[in-house]
Amino acid sequence: MAIAGLVYLLLHLPVLVLVVFSVNASRYSVSWSGFTLEWYRALLTRADLWRGLRASLIVGVTSTIVATCFGTLIALALARRRFPGRRWLEGLVFLPLVTPEILVGISLLVLFVLIGIPLGLGTITIAHIAFNISFVVVVVRARLAGMDQHLEEAALILGADELTAFRTVTLPALWPGIVAGALLAFTMSFDDYVITSLVSGAGSSTLPVVVYGMVRRTVEPTVNAISTIILLGTTLLIYGADRLLRPR
Amino acid sequence: MTIRRRMLGMIGRRPGLGVASLLLPGGLWLVLFFVVPMLLMLGASVMPRGTYGGVEPGLTLEHYRRFLDPLYLQVLWRTIAWSGVATVVCLLLGLPVAWVIAASRRHRSLLLFLVVLPFWTSFLVRTFAMIFLLRDSGVINSVLLGLGVIREPIALLYTPFAVLSGLVYGLLPFMVLPIYASLEKLDPALLEAAEVLGARPAARFFRVTLPLALPGMIAGSLLVFVPAMGSFLTSDLLGGAKQVMIGNLVQNQFTTARNWPFGSAASFAVMAVVLVAVMLSLRLRDRDPGERVRR
Amino acid sequence: MTTRREFLGYAAALLGACRRSRSETIPAGSAELGPLEPELNIYNWSDYISPGVVPGFEKEFGVRVTYDTYESSEELVAKLQAGAAGYDLVVPTTYAVTALVESGLLAKLSPSYLGNLSNIAPLFRGLAHDPENAYTVPWQWGMTGIAWRSDHIADAPESWSVYLNRALAGKMTMLDDERDVIGAFLRYRGHSLNSVDPAELAGAKRDAILAKANLKAYLSAPVKGQLIAGDVWLAQLWNGDAAQARKEQPALSWMLPEEGSSLWIDSLVVPKAAPHPRAAHEFINYTLRPDIAAAIATATGYGSPNQGAMSLIENPVPYPGPDELARLEIQKDLGRAAEAWDRIWTEIKTA
Repeated sequence: MAIAGLVYLLLHLPVLVLVVFSVNASRYSVSWSGFTLEWYRALLTRADLWRGLRASLIVGVTSTIVATCFGTLIALALARRRFPGRRWLEGLVFLPLVTPEILVGISLLVLFVLIGIPLGLGTITIAHIAFNISFVVVVVRARLAGMDQHLEEAALILGADELTAFRTVTLPALWPGIVAGALLAFTMSFDDYVITSLVSGAGSSTLPVVVYGMVRRTVEPTVNAISTIILLGTTLLIYGADRLLRPR
Repeated sequence: MTIRRRMLGMIGRRPGLGVASLLLPGGLWLVLFFVVPMLLMLGASVMPRGTYGGVEPGLTLEHYRRFLDPLYLQVLWRTIAWSGVATVVCLLLGLPVAWVIAASRRHRSLLLFLVVLPFWTSFLVRTFAMIFLLRDSGVINSVLLGLGVIREPIALLYTPFAVLSGLVYGLLPFMVLPIYASLEKLDPALLEAAEVLGARPAARFFRVTLPLALPGMIAGSLLVFVPAMGSFLTSDLLGGAKQVMIGNLVQNQFTTARNWPFGSAASFAVMAVVLVAVMLSLRLRDRDPGERVRR
Repeated sequence: MTTRREFLGYAAALLGACRRSRSETIPAGSAELGPLEPELNIYNWSDYISPGVVPGFEKEFGVRVTYDTYESSEELVAKLQAGAAGYDLVVPTTYAVTALVESGLLAKLSPSYLGNLSNIAPLFRGLAHDPENAYTVPWQWGMTGIAWRSDHIADAPESWSVYLNRALAGKMTMLDDERDVIGAFLRYRGHSLNSVDPAELAGAKRDAILAKANLKAYLSAPVKGQLIAGDVWLAQLWNGDAAQARKEQPALSWMLPEEGSSLWIDSLVVPKAAPHPRAAHEFINYTLRPDIAAAIATATGYGSPNQGAMSLIENPVPYPGPDELARLEIQKDLGRAAEAWDRIWTEIKTA
């Protein structure tokens, strides 16, 4: 319990620093020079940041939904069906996770050029779905590995067809795993830089691509400001969603 | 027993949710957008490098041979070591967190959300926030100096400690989420039953909680170890770029070294190593009692 | 009966025709370009332009501009070599220009549309990476040297040998770039920073490994924050970045080591596959106007190669004098020797 508390504290310490420096008047965030909202005001003029955020959200949501569906199906096949090469497939699903991002990015770029797909948000989404499937499969598979199949079997024996059994028994039990996988997938998509910058086309820069430059050269407090806004935004979003979905 | 097996067999053969349709959408995607590009790069890895980048026509194994040089094997070994340590630390820190989340009924979604929240900021921004904390004039040193605990700033940044912190910080949710997913279905009744039957807390943990968390722990360990193997920015930003990981090596090959084939060869060598590790871990997970019953 | 080769030939031609029919403009590289296109795609370094330049251009020419950014010349080269198209203007550094030209990815510029080209100082024309000025128009230039805190270091450093000085151990950084680190120690021994001679490189490697023990870290642009805070007292850094940091930390000085260092130039180039070559040329010409060039240099803090703009910039970065020029070298692409350099860099990093 204590360890968990400590971990939470340490997890959020850098975030706290982030928020504090977003209202710090020093441009290089060296020390406290006074409270200011100028970085937030500066955000209003940074159209590229908002475009980047919009692009990141579009790509993130789309790739998460698709990857979660695909990944869950694959995890189900791996857990519930016996077929030749099953163990190998399970291992192969890990490969996108270990492949260096620059290799994935360059190879996908070469593929897109060969097939003739124009670079843009579409190609970024395709790339994100590809690596997100692996994340979802791993998480959902872990969930399935310990799940009791007897309830499903009971439903089937009692006459439910497979789809109904899946919908009413398996899916609710699997749901927390699916949500965990989806959260992970969205996080990875939202944060991705290398692959995205390689397969993006003109005008399709996502937020990390826009921010990377600002941060690598000098950590501008404007970046802290937009990060704080994203944090507040997602907090409100999740809180709202939780409120809506809570069983009455 | 036989009737049941027959029924299960029938299910496998029913149309609609057969193996093919389950695997098809995701599998097709992965084949087209992962396997095919990888095959392209596999081909590149056996071609001579172009003078200014890319490849030239020809066939050669020199890049794989070059990777067997002690210099590069040392880089590989160092990366494995770092990733391993980061995985262990994540396990030690992640298990309590996942347990707390799974055990809590009312605040579960909040706690889950709090674990993931820091990761919806940019990786770079988070890392720079850590730099603010760790550097000589940073928050931690300032506080310690102010409290009189130390006289001179401690070198926290650009040390192995900083790199490890960065790795763990970045990979912790990958450990927490799968373990949580496994633990979530832990029926408290099982623990109560164990307690009633006289098991002490330690025994309850090791014989009830841990085995049920094991698939999640293995999944989490893989989800931490594998990306750690490919990471390099953390070592650069928090370690002061004083070491080179396999990730740095590959990155360099595709950029300054203009040596795509060697970069590909090195990547495939690493992927082979990791694949072996993954297969062994999966074998370990499948020996878990939960799975054995189904066989 | 068509043979397989003929079939492939037809298929390739068909594919090529399909692709070509998408763009109706005359391709880049021709002396005469078509009419002004309504769009322009620029791919530049981040933080490398004045905010008003693009909107000003859009308004005056009626062209819609997409502006994307990247962080490394090398990643740009890799992306273009892999086949990424769609950008009309990119801004590679000197050695990257060579790689792009040799890979056949750049179009020759059409000088008839670049009337303001005469504003560029002769010093920046006819250089090693583009001897005939066929492909590039300089954008910004800079030098790599040493920035240091004069309030912490009494004797101003004069030479790269400062990195071998144990007295400053733990307070110094070098750039995280193999060309800059190995190049510095090559210059230290009196060799060219483009050397491919194994003996010279071995000597530089020895020095670099000795110096590494004294380094706090290899840091590139982010070192500015540490210099300002005083965590780092001496850093290998570009003059423009040092000037920017000096605004928040007046005790910061910059110098060019006596053994010499690199002069770098980032140039505007037009990829061969540019979909809007005419608009690209108009943009280049627009930024060659003295007032626009002055705005850019003021915003970035780097040197402007536009001599017409020099009088319009407050505190411009002065052009290197003959004494400095004698010590400056331009980094060239290493070609086949890139492999040897990379191995040395790996050895330095694993030491």
